[in-house]
Amino acid sequence: MKGCKKCRGLLVGALYGELDPQQKVFFENHSGACPSCAAEFKALAETLKTMDERIRPEPGPEFWDGYWSRLSRRMGEEDAVEEAPRSWAKTLGRAWNLAPRWAFQAAAAVALVAIGVFVGRSLFSPRPAPLDISRQAVQAPDAQPAQSDARQRAKNYVDRSKLVLLALVNYDSKSEDPYGLDLPFQKQVSQELVSQAGEIKADLKDPSQRRLRELVSDLETILLQIANLESENDLEAVEFVKQGVENRGIFLKINLSEMGGDLSRGGPGGVPEKPLNQKTKV
Amino acid sequence: MTEEKELIDRLSKGDMPAFRELVEAYKKKMYYFALDMVGDPADAEDISQEVFLKVFRGFKTFKRDAKLSSWLYRIAYNASIDHLRRKSLAPEAVEDETLDVASAGFSEPPASTDPARTAESRLLGARVEKALQKVSERERTVFVLRHYNDLMLNEIAETMQISMGSVKSYLFRCLWKLKKELTVPEAPGPMEVSDEGL
Repeated sequence: MKGCKKCRGLLVGALYGELDPQQKVFFENHSGACPSCAAEFKALAETLKTMDERIRPEPGPEFWDGYWSRLSRRMGEEDAVEEAPRSWAKTLGRAWNLAPRWAFQAAAAVALVAIGVFVGRSLFSPRPAPLDISRQAVQAPDAQPAQSDARQRAKNYVDRSKLVLLALVNYDSKSEDPYGLDLPFQKQVSQELVSQAGEIKADLKDPSQRRLRELVSDLETILLQIANLESENDLEAVEFVKQGVENRGIFLKINLSEMGGDLSRGGPGGVPEKPLNQKTKV
Repeated sequence: MTEEKELIDRLSKGDMPAFRELVEAYKKKMYYFALDMVGDPADAEDISQEVFLKVFRGFKTFKRDAKLSSWLYRIAYNASIDHLRRKSLAPEAVEDETLDVASAGFSEPPASTDPARTAESRLLGARVEKALQKVSERERTVFVLRHYNDLMLNEIAETMQISMGSVKSYLFRCLWKLKKELTVPEAPGPMEVSDEGL
């Protein structure tokens, strides 16, 4: 019969209701008059009906509830693996093999000066802010005037992040009350910080700000893990995060950034500028 | 559409809550599509997570004029194909495994009070699954995207980066093969002949 070829070309669209009005009219007229095409359409429609009998396994609500948590954990782990080859030890090892003798002497001199500055600031700068002041600094970013300078914003970001990290790192799950950590609060701050990280990194475009950008990136990963901690008493996960902080040498990087000038220029009033000591209690 | 645009804007700024919204909105779709493609629940979860990791790290590569869901399905499609290829290079007997896994991926229908009906339904499900394994990779992908994931034909073309004509052609061929598989009666198992009868 005339038009069968065209009708076959429209079969798929007809089965799934994707014909335009003109095609639909043609298809209906033709299949109404052509028993062969009508039979073909009917048979394929039956096949589709049978295919509907297939039931896919439903993994259950626990699976879906924990999906985000497993995904963010994987993100953290993969980031850590990617970071590993760029560890400080390996970088220093490569430099050791390649650098000439005078470079070691210069590096040693710079290191001595840096240690001097570090020790001096540790001994003579004011004591860390007590808990209520630290919390105020973490909690009230809006109170500070808006900083247009990318470095300044990064500094605020690092300051707020380090307070969260210190609270976690200094928390001893064996001897302290889990509620003392105030995990919901730390999670809330972390969430807020994670949402700001992208913008801050995008603003740190200058090649001289590469190290600072990487620091913000490292902090973002750790804060993401904190933001995604499941429950208030998930102490195992807290230990996991603490380990991440340690493995990445986060505090060392913050100290270096503060001492090396990445963060030291133009400090805001909120948090005292002193190198970090993990024993500092918040 | 406006909501999707807003989500895209937020994602391009690296907004973490937006990323979570995306995951919550698409986790089931990505998981089930991957399950349809590879058959194994654990692998399906792995692939679906891979999709989101790629989105998180490479959102800059997303073209604004494309549909977000098509882009996600495209990543899931590529990840599934990569997975199947890696698996086919593995030393195990993949074919048998694929069939076994596919049967495992087919869940049992909801428990019925009628055991005969349950058995019948299970049998039909196994036949459907087996029929799906008989079609080519591309035919299966097109069918799965249209039939089980409700993508329009033009979205499938965008996802697989092929023409609409090719999508229709793959789907048509797939339907014919499925029809053939499902209408042929199941071959009976080998007959047992006792030694005494010889």
